[in-house]
Amino acid sequence: MKLRYLSLGAVALGFVIGGSASHANADVPGGSGCEGSAVWLEDGLTIVAETDGGPYTIPRSDTVRWEGSVTDAPGVYSGSVTVELPPPFGEVEIDSWSGDSESTSNSGEHEYDFPSLVPAGVEFSVNGEHIDENGGCSGTIAFEIDGGPFDSPIAPISLGGTALFAILTGLALKPLFMKVI
Amino acid sequence: MSYGRVVLSAFLTMLLMLFVAADLVLFGVLPLNSIVVTILPLAGLVLGAVLAIMARKRQSAGAAPAQTAAV
Repeated sequence: MKLRYLSLGAVALGFVIGGSASHANADVPGGSGCEGSAVWLEDGLTIVAETDGGPYTIPRSDTVRWEGSVTDAPGVYSGSVTVELPPPFGEVEIDSWSGDSESTSNSGEHEYDFPSLVPAGVEFSVNGEHIDENGGCSGTIAFEIDGGPFDSPIAPISLGGTALFAILTGLALKPLFMKVI
Repeated sequence: MSYGRVVLSAFLTMLLMLFVAADLVLFGVLPLNSIVVTILPLAGLVLGAVLAIMARKRQSAGAAPAQTAAV
């Protein structure tokens, strides 16, 4: 599962690292002049990290060609990709990186296939952050997987839980609904 | 209705609201990182307790005239 989220995180902002090269990033607040883009090869979706935060609807499986760069040699760098959860749970880190590099760009392709348990149509925000010797930058992109709620078995389970606890709550509060003599 | 029943009602309502929040997320009404997802179960906890206390008072009010009539 982590690897599948990793693929999403990787394509999300072009926050991708590989080998000794630095990774892509959004040209958003910060001073490293980060840039990143991703193209979904089958779907045709193109995201340029610095232009729009979404939400983007992505296919459940595809191959993403990504590329990213920083303006100057990063030197010692680190960064992470996280998915935002409801408060107070904060964020869950799906990928992180660190190293020492003089390369200013990187690119590659990544194939992903989310399992059916990952619900479609749910908007989730992916944050990316990169820090190197020239500064840092960060960005957020919102995604949802193409499809309807019943593409995942989670939705019927959740509806069943709602019905079950509605009945149990009604029984527990039965005196409230009974006519007082 | 005992205090245990009040706690049970609060707990059940909290779980009900938790599932309602999950439904809202799964059907695309709320984003995953929405604060409403957190608030709903907490509101359910309070609401369940309040409703249970109301039910308890209502039950007591119903029992009192019945006891008077019996005497």
